Amino acid sequence: MSARTGFIPTLTLLLLAAAPAPAESASQEGTQVSEAMADAVGEVLPEALPGVEEPDASSSSAPSGYTPEAESVSPFRVSGYVDVGFAKAQGRGSSFHPDDTRVPADYGADAFAPAVNSRGDVASLDAGGRFVNGFLPRTVDIGGHASFLLNTASLDLFYEPSSAPVLVFARTQFLPRFEKGSGGTRLLLQQAFGRVTPFSGHELTVTVGRFDSVFGIEYRENESPLRTGITPSLMARYTTGHQLGVKSFYRRQLPSLSSAVSLNVAITNSSSRVESLQTADLSLTGLPFVSARLGYELQLLRLQLKLGMSGQTGARNDQDDAHVRQTQLGADARLTAGWFSLAAEYVRARDDAGSAPGKHTGVGDFFYASGFAVDGFYGTLALAVPVGDEALRTATVYSRYDRRAAEFHGFGGILTSRYTVGTRLDFWSVLSLKAEYLFNRENAGAPRVDNDVFTASAIYVF
Amino acid sequence: MLSSLRTALALLVAVLIALPAGSAPSSDWPGQEMPLPLVVREPEDLAFKAAAERQYLIFNLLSSGRLAYDRGDMDTAASRWEELLRVPGLPLELEAVVKPLAAEARQKAGGKAALDLPMPPPPQGYTLLPTPKPELKPEPAAFQENVSPRKAPASSPRVEVRRPRVSATGTLEGTVQGGPSGAAGAVVWLTRAQGPTPKPKPAPRQIVVQRGKRFLPHVLLVPTGTEVSFVNEDKMFHNVFSLSRPNDFDLGLYKEGVARNKVFTNPGPVRLLCNIHASMSAFVYVVDSPWYAQADGRGRFELRGVPPGEYVLHAWHETSAKPSSQHLTVGEGRLSVAATVTGDAERTAFVPDKAGRPRQTQMGY
Repeated sequence: MSARTGFIPTLTLLLLAAAPAPAESASQEGTQVSEAMADAVGEVLPEALPGVEEPDASSSSAPSGYTPEAESVSPFRVSGYVDVGFAKAQGRGSSFHPDDTRVPADYGADAFAPAVNSRGDVASLDAGGRFVNGFLPRTVDIGGHASFLLNTASLDLFYEPSSAPVLVFARTQFLPRFEKGSGGTRLLLQQAFGRVTPFSGHELTVTVGRFDSVFGIEYRENESPLRTGITPSLMARYTTGHQLGVKSFYRRQLPSLSSAVSLNVAITNSSSRVESLQTADLSLTGLPFVSARLGYELQLLRLQLKLGMSGQTGARNDQDDAHVRQTQLGADARLTAGWFSLAAEYVRARDDAGSAPGKHTGVGDFFYASGFAVDGFYGTLALAVPVGDEALRTATVYSRYDRRAAEFHGFGGILTSRYTVGTRLDFWSVLSLKAEYLFNRENAGAPRVDNDVFTASAIYVF
Repeated sequence: MLSSLRTALALLVAVLIALPAGSAPSSDWPGQEMPLPLVVREPEDLAFKAAAERQYLIFNLLSSGRLAYDRGDMDTAASRWEELLRVPGLPLELEAVVKPLAAEARQKAGGKAALDLPMPPPPQGYTLLPTPKPELKPEPAAFQENVSPRKAPASSPRVEVRRPRVSATGTLEGTVQGGPSGAAGAVVWLTRAQGPTPKPKPAPRQIVVQRGKRFLPHVLLVPTGTEVSFVNEDKMFHNVFSLSRPNDFDLGLYKEGVARNKVFTNPGPVRLLCNIHASMSAFVYVVDSPWYAQADGRGRFELRGVPPGEYVLHAWHETSAKPSSQHLTVGEGRLSVAATVTGDAERTAFVPDKAGRPRQTQMGY
């Protein structure tokens, strides 16, 4: 061995041997002792240069501190929330005017307008005995009476083993409903899916089961702890349903632009509409429904901008003819800057008319699947002010404007709008109190009706 | 364990030094260029360059001394090794290997042993004292055994390396218990029961790595004023932030191989999150005390060097809303204590983004 080659490994060893002894890692030695760190304080550390933001990481040495063994972390997790509320709607609590004699009654009014909770349940569906054809939300059936509500008790179960890039998730919801016209208490398996992240170095997930929609953005905050306000928008009925199938999410980051693009694709049994408007648990036509959202994110230090375009097409899943199409397009934007946030979404949907009698939704069987067209949007502006670290953490004020134009084929179109104002107080990180007022307006094609709503909600998260 | 490794490495160095060279190296090796031609653009470059030059200097003096020794140039060999022995902070193991060689070379060169000359300042924390005994101070058995072929002659200069005398202190050892699933990784620290607690020295820069969409370590304990470097080792972007006031911060979006730093000046828990990946979560706990320790996986901890006196022992775990505390008296010697942490931290089912808006982790984005 030459002196040169003999000394080269020696140099490596010397570098190791001569290196200052680091503080003993707690995870290795069991104890991290302050004295060891204090001894090392004499080491010369480079001072950070002002304005220098992105030094290359020159070391990936094992950090000190404590990291639990993967095996010691339980793969099971449980969380959930309870949402109780209070609501008072004007008039009879429904959008149906007592003097309007047109039928079907739900084609000439927006039955979804007087929502009282985060699920979009309305105060009443009392149509005065007129015929309706299944374009209806769920109801708590409190009419115009001031009432306390048990909106939702929701339980999330997670199973995420450390040994595999897999997540199994289930969300079960208990919906106590006591009024006669409410359809009774229900227990829902809202979501149940398995998700695989096949490549550790890529943001790619594949999900199979019953899951959230991929259309638009409102599904992301459809649970009451997540939504800034209480009630869903007038367009939520088209975008926040849950379907059975498979979906995949992929995101690619664009380093030079502080940006990322993402694609969310789903092949499911039905569209993204809520279960009260279609058959949610099976496919009536046997054909898949295809949905996708293409997203762009700009992540700056004090500003986030997220844009998206969504589309979906397939056979209507409220009737049996595989040739009757339903298509939907959407665009969304979210901007967060400091305490302000802005979210806006546009939705355009077109349904072909059913070829035969029969319409089947989550609330019942009806006569006919009419052709349908709708265009609408909403925009929400919120100001969330951090208050402190004690009980009250954040105070938020928000307002939303909704506008919706809809028309059933052979029936006159209607134009409705809604102004929503509200406030939200977050206590600790487990309790939220919200209150909001909905000013529902019938702008054209529907009779003016007193259906404004005051609603409040208390949500405890566990 | 680390000290054993270092000893073994130094031992190997000694053996390699002792090996006869198979062929003569070229005359221009090792080179003498200093400072090293390393480009400095960032603070980390400067630190890297300083570290490399220090190691280069050690290697250079070590190897050039050996080469000179092998060709019979004892004066040069002695000079090189004596210069090496003056490098501040030279590991004791290396010092023990080189010192007898240097003395031997100096003696063969016909000169006076350098260690009889006025000495440079000793490494920080150690005192060099002449001793009457002729032998080198005993080193660990394995080490001494391997060094024996080059054992220092009886006439070699005699030194003893001793730890400085320090005033008597106590050691606190114990176990942290409590919490819904134990107290592994709990942090403990002392504050004086009466009067102000001394301010801690900031620790050397600590590292929290983002790897596999996880923060490593999961809980990091640092004294106030410590800089923590958040290093992204994933192929994807991360945006590390915290909403834990008053230590809230936002490092922005950054890519693989980039580190961004944060100095923690306020005591308390700092929950780390990623604005891109809702499933990522970890903690930095900042203490404003020079006496602190982090428990191991069984909740055991040890605090050394605590001056005798009345103290309050604080303990915090990531499942604790507030640190627990208890009074105790530390004397000289060891004191065993049992600390308990509460498991009353607020559980956040929905993880906030950096704007405070809750997110659902099961979505995976």
